Amino acid sequence: MEKTLRLKAKELLESGEVKVVIGYGWNRSKTRTTPVFITDPADVDTLVWNPLCVNNLSLYLTRKYKEIKALGRPAIVAKGCDIRNIVVLITEGQFKREDVFIIGMTCNGTVYKQDLWKGELTPNIMPTKCHNCDVRNPHVTDFVVGEKSTFTPPEVPTGMVYDKVKDLDSKSQSERWAFWVKEFSRCVKCYACRQVCPLCYCERCITEKNMPQWIETSAHPRGNLSWNLTRAMHLVGRCTFCGECERSCPVNIPLNLINQKMIGVVKEAFDFKSGYDEKTHPPMIVFSPDDKENFIK
Amino acid sequence: MADKILKKADLGKLIESVTGKGGRFVAPTTDSRQIVFKKVKSAEEIATDYILARNSFKEFLFPQTEVVAEFTLGKDTVDMRGVEVHAPQTVIFGARPCEAASLKGMHALFTWDFIDEFYTKREDNTVVVTVGCTKADDACFCTTVNLSPASTEGADVYLREAGESYTVEAITDKGKKFVEAHAAVFGSGSVKADPLVMPEKIANIDLAKVSERLKDKTHYDDKVWPKLTRKCIGCGACTFVCPTCRCFDIVDEGTAFEGERRKNWDSCQYDTFTLHASGHNPREHQHQRWRNRFMCKFNFFPEKFSGKGCVGCGRCVRVCPVRLDITEVMEEFSK
Repeated sequence: MEKTLRLKAKELLESGEVKVVIGYGWNRSKTRTTPVFITDPADVDTLVWNPLCVNNLSLYLTRKYKEIKALGRPAIVAKGCDIRNIVVLITEGQFKREDVFIIGMTCNGTVYKQDLWKGELTPNIMPTKCHNCDVRNPHVTDFVVGEKSTFTPPEVPTGMVYDKVKDLDSKSQSERWAFWVKEFSRCVKCYACRQVCPLCYCERCITEKNMPQWIETSAHPRGNLSWNLTRAMHLVGRCTFCGECERSCPVNIPLNLINQKMIGVVKEAFDFKSGYDEKTHPPMIVFSPDDKENFIK
Repeated sequence: MADKILKKADLGKLIESVTGKGGRFVAPTTDSRQIVFKKVKSAEEIATDYILARNSFKEFLFPQTEVVAEFTLGKDTVDMRGVEVHAPQTVIFGARPCEAASLKGMHALFTWDFIDEFYTKREDNTVVVTVGCTKADDACFCTTVNLSPASTEGADVYLREAGESYTVEAITDKGKKFVEAHAAVFGSGSVKADPLVMPEKIANIDLAKVSERLKDKTHYDDKVWPKLTRKCIGCGACTFVCPTCRCFDIVDEGTAFEGERRKNWDSCQYDTFTLHASGHNPREHQHQRWRNRFMCKFNFFPEKFSGKGCVGCGRCVRVCPVRLDITEVMEEFSK
């Protein structure tokens, strides 16, 4: 797959069809992958593809990355799950489909965190999203790398995140409250969850608005709770469960539980899952005359 | 000659001895699937098999958030009140030699042109007990910044693993007093310390050259910065886990009429860090913010305070969501 990927990247850069290829490369000791930005066709051998390619690179297509935008039209190496984020960005008018060349990678799953890698991809080191993935064959692409995957996700989603959500749902409100207060108490307000999220593309986040200060910057229970609730609410109907926020959290707050819960609520209320069709707008940003809620009419 | 030792089985007694006198005992423990420094109450909570805690112990000297004053606004008055510094007797146990070396620089900063009692009072009441490393990973680079698992800089007491015991070496007066104060717990014996594990020095890095090159400010607009650091996503995770990062922000919180003034961790990786009220931002792009952090570690800070800007603990490398490795930038600047 790497060979095909590199050849395609080379062709794209040489023809001038794209100016930069956003992909994965090795770190110095070849133990971890890291995002790379290839602008010179001579550098395409830097590109790698393996189960350590966890990062959702669609982040770099957002408006926050002016310097990357300035390089010119990008091609992006993307797994199906990453493409779901690209789709959301397109539906939200962040850029047009033709503004990016999508090199879709067929995928057999990645590791949850790169530190877990021991040389082999086993089910126990894969995140819940991979066990239920319905986009192992990337769905919106300009070019596909890899053999078609024959994986069919289970009919009823399974895995740790779903089990934990179910478990939390069965608890009383006060128990759930106690659970989250405890989890959020570790928050250090580094905002890695926000920065790594391809859908958190606001140039001025509400946390940074200080006239008035809507969200207290202090890492005390009130500040932490208001930040984490705001983050969650802003992702309703948009989050694709890519899991980058949880992966990046230095204090291991189980953000995937919140994300998956929201996804479940949206699925139930609007029968909508984000990131599959770039022509369908997410439910929170559209008005429909046949909305089942009366108050909106 | 018999050496001073601490039996691992006696750790519980040491904790009791410290907490019995009203102190707090901070040690690496497992919390939420990782090793972190936390206040512990019993020896069972202490993690023994670890390389380094995810957080640095700086939060026990310089908390993430703390109230430094309280205020009440009247019709024509502002009543501003100071608060007591919360500085309990603290033992930081199981710190690594790398992170302890950050203390000199921390002290230099918090006593620079103003004595920050919120730091110094805690520092006075804190004893740092380091344990030499018997494990390392590929993010460790202490030897590259001229430290090693045998360094005692910043430590009050230096321990080494020795089977079921630790060898004990009191480094500072504070450390000696600590060992004396808990003399009943420390024993003596002749034990052989386990070998220390030295992380390999990164071959292409020359720290002196890095500093030298950074002095010449012509690198400032060099294309090498965006090239190396364009992947940085601008989160503050590296600065928050870093034992030498110590920037903070002062904020007022409360209602319209009363509230508290807080000192909160801040990060040079945020665009709001240098954003002016005019809207101008001298560090508009992320690579400039990254350059600042690197300059702070290897240029401004060591020059101004002769303290270590970077101790090579590798936390920033481990925690980075995009694996931006500071040593790869050091390598570039060693050329």
